Amino acid sequence: MEKLLNEISSECKAAFNVNCDVESDLNIPQNYKRNADLGLPCVAENDLLRHFTNLSRKNYALSTTFYPLGSCTMKYNPLINEKIAGFDGFNCIHPSQPAETIQGALELIHNLEKDLCEVSGMDYFSLQPAAGAQGEFAGLLIIAKYFKSIKQKRTKIIVPDSAHGTNPASAAYAGFEIMPLKSESDGSLSAQKVKELLTPEVAAIMLTVPNTLGVFEKEISEIAKASHENGTLLYYDGANLNALMGMVRPGDLGFDVIHINLHKTFSTPHGGGGPGAGPVGVKAFLEHFLPVPRVENKNSKFVLNYKKSKSIGKVRAFFGNFPVLVKAYAYIKALGAKGLKNASVQAVLNANYMLAKFKDKINVPAGSRCMHEFVLSPKSVLQNGVRTVDIAKRLLDYGYYAPTVYFPLIVEEAIMIEPTETESKETLDKFVETLNKIILDEAVNEPHKVKDAPVNTPVKRLNEVEAARKPILKWSG
Amino acid sequence: MDYTSQNQKDKQEMLKVLGISNAEELFDVVPENLKAKELNISGGQSEQELLNTFKNLASKNKPLISFRGAGIYDHYIPSLVGEITGRSEFWTAYTPYQAEASQGTLQAIFEYQSMISALTAMDTSNASLYDGASAAAEAAMLALRATGKNKILVSPALHPEYLQTIKTYLENSKAKIAMLNLSVNGNIEKGMVLAALDDDTAAVIIQSPNYLGVIEDMDALSAASKESNSLFVAVVNPISLGFFKAPGEYGADIVAGEGQILGCPMSFGGATFGFMAVKKALEWKMPGRIVGQTVDKDGKRGFVLTLQSREQHIRRERATSNICTNAALNALAGCVYLSGWGNDGLKKLAQTNISKARYAFNKIKAIEGFKSKFEHSVFFNEFVIETKKDIKKINKALVKNGFLPPLDLSYFGGQFKNCLLFCVTEQRTKAEIDKLIEILAKV
Repeated sequence: MEKLLNEISSECKAAFNVNCDVESDLNIPQNYKRNADLGLPCVAENDLLRHFTNLSRKNYALSTTFYPLGSCTMKYNPLINEKIAGFDGFNCIHPSQPAETIQGALELIHNLEKDLCEVSGMDYFSLQPAAGAQGEFAGLLIIAKYFKSIKQKRTKIIVPDSAHGTNPASAAYAGFEIMPLKSESDGSLSAQKVKELLTPEVAAIMLTVPNTLGVFEKEISEIAKASHENGTLLYYDGANLNALMGMVRPGDLGFDVIHINLHKTFSTPHGGGGPGAGPVGVKAFLEHFLPVPRVENKNSKFVLNYKKSKSIGKVRAFFGNFPVLVKAYAYIKALGAKGLKNASVQAVLNANYMLAKFKDKINVPAGSRCMHEFVLSPKSVLQNGVRTVDIAKRLLDYGYYAPTVYFPLIVEEAIMIEPTETESKETLDKFVETLNKIILDEAVNEPHKVKDAPVNTPVKRLNEVEAARKPILKWSG
Repeated sequence: MDYTSQNQKDKQEMLKVLGISNAEELFDVVPENLKAKELNISGGQSEQELLNTFKNLASKNKPLISFRGAGIYDHYIPSLVGEITGRSEFWTAYTPYQAEASQGTLQAIFEYQSMISALTAMDTSNASLYDGASAAAEAAMLALRATGKNKILVSPALHPEYLQTIKTYLENSKAKIAMLNLSVNGNIEKGMVLAALDDDTAAVIIQSPNYLGVIEDMDALSAASKESNSLFVAVVNPISLGFFKAPGEYGADIVAGEGQILGCPMSFGGATFGFMAVKKALEWKMPGRIVGQTVDKDGKRGFVLTLQSREQHIRRERATSNICTNAALNALAGCVYLSGWGNDGLKKLAQTNISKARYAFNKIKAIEGFKSKFEHSVFFNEFVIETKKDIKKINKALVKNGFLPPLDLSYFGGQFKNCLLFCVTEQRTKAEIDKLIEILAKV
């Protein structure tokens, strides 16, 4: 067990030190000064290095193992991109420097916006949102402001029951009411059901394509047409864009607003849960509503334009998670049009190859073909009270991170697998073999092994119920 | 270079298993008329070519010796921080859904929560948010949600981009934002809060040190906001808390702020983290991830994501926020940074900022044509100077010498015409400050 910092803290010298090379008074009134103990640990640098290095070794990570976390697109994070983002010219610049001293940064933002437009078939992008959920939020505020500008009162957003939780949460956060749309048993959406929900109050419909079961929506054209005829806008959740690059563009499908997760499709690292980036893209008629500032090219100089009276304003300070933008742009320049397309095609091939090896043994609610990911429902083959959570934990014992489980909510005991294009056939084969073994052999013949899993991890199965029942959220001595 | 791993032989075998001859057949479900034409995107660069392309781009940016803060600050980042955040076990992992395989990230976040709670003297911290501006906006949303009231009172000396972010977050809600008045001393007076409060006020949001660098009398302002049962939201600079009064000491209900100064590079203002801490009563209403301590089946201590029934992946449209990730890697930087300074170190760091800023302040206001704008106010590492000289000329001279000039506050209008907001952190040497004085004197 790794001790906590406070438990290794002693009366030693702090790890870091600073010298002051000027003399001046610290004459500050007593009532402004802190009385409370700071309560920080005091640990020598050598011990801190060991502490945090040892902690890092308790993580499964993409750099140590296959990480088939469905919907998260855990593809290889190119090392060169890390190196590039660390250049002083990117890392050591202040956001409010004079424009002539940040031309490289503005050019990068401008060009990345252009490339994202080309990949997605949209007209304009803002790179400001810090994450996918914030991109959704910005997109929905754009939709709200648009309808306000044309004086239409539209208060509702249609969200399929298979959508990511952020979709309804973002729509509610942006002040909308949610109309749930029930998906079919294979996860697809029925244009007829959409039509039944389309009232004059519906501002937008939020769709994920391919959907969260990994299937391309067959009736997308009909849904788009019916929505637009009703004056309803189409929102595209870009979580699954890795299936489509160079093959299908959301803009061409009729989407009006879109967000892209650069940390998924464009290979930037997930960082243990951020920082990500969730650029929001729109069709031309919505450009005025994008967050400020906009980067513009005037007389071959890049400038920041804050004077956009119709803009929704800002969803965060400055220009977005800039290092993430640098890495995504480096990724695009490595791949180019051909590489991007190949990446998506290979991602879809890898997923289908895996699916083919499962489909005759384990139920696949969405059928025998998928796009870049697929969802298994092992309910009918699970015996002895073994559940999906046990399967996931057992995978950890074999050194794999577990796929996404219990999502989408419409599939019982769901196991959602997304291999990505950067995994080798050998890795896929071994994983398939292991998962089949756990579900079809171990869970049947040695259920205790599965229910007691994991045993090879730094800690055994953790009690989440207790954690929520009696929350301990900080060190308390 | 597309980083795919399959060779031709493997690919052929995979296609054979699927009974197809070309992987693009897998897209047959897409109607032909919806398929994309060839993209017009340049690329295909080798690693070596990428290096050159991006060296060239980076060279069009000019890192400067910074005398500007206004939300993003140039502090020294000790080597340990980069060593830890540079470990691929941290930066290539994802949100720790599988707790048993994510104890590194989870314990680090737990340690982070412990330190943010201690530093702010608050009960509970979350696992971090995107940045200071969105943390301030989330604080406003939290206050509205928790009180059921509809008005937010905001200091005009709150960072303008934070204010704009709060406005955007509330854009499509029925909540209203009312602005307080600024005194001639660059701060908010208690009487102004009392005058503006009403029964429908959910929260009073005050930044200290404020955007103009002035330390507010948070005791008095917090007490005032309680007069009508409004929540007091403090937006604070975490390093300043090594010396100045902590939010928990003056009864703040919610604390929010920007974590960039805790070990994150300036990076053009991006990839930082926001922090938030609250009183216990608000714990279950807080946005964002939270890590809790628990035990495994052998009774051994471990850490998990907890209080998840607040969150979007469970509660969907009834979640406390739409936030999904936090800013884990940046919060990790903050965690390493704070633990490396410890109690005495952070206090010394804060004092060094105060000392250097005061040294520069005393020298600058002594130059002819420069005077202090808020002579009687207390400041941390930023201060406002009014000048009779031409600000354009000042800026030009400073940039020419490789200095990032103080922020021109003229666009603030009114009383801030000809005013400059200086920032001096521990990172600035005496020699650099003296050089700044020399240049200013010559303009």
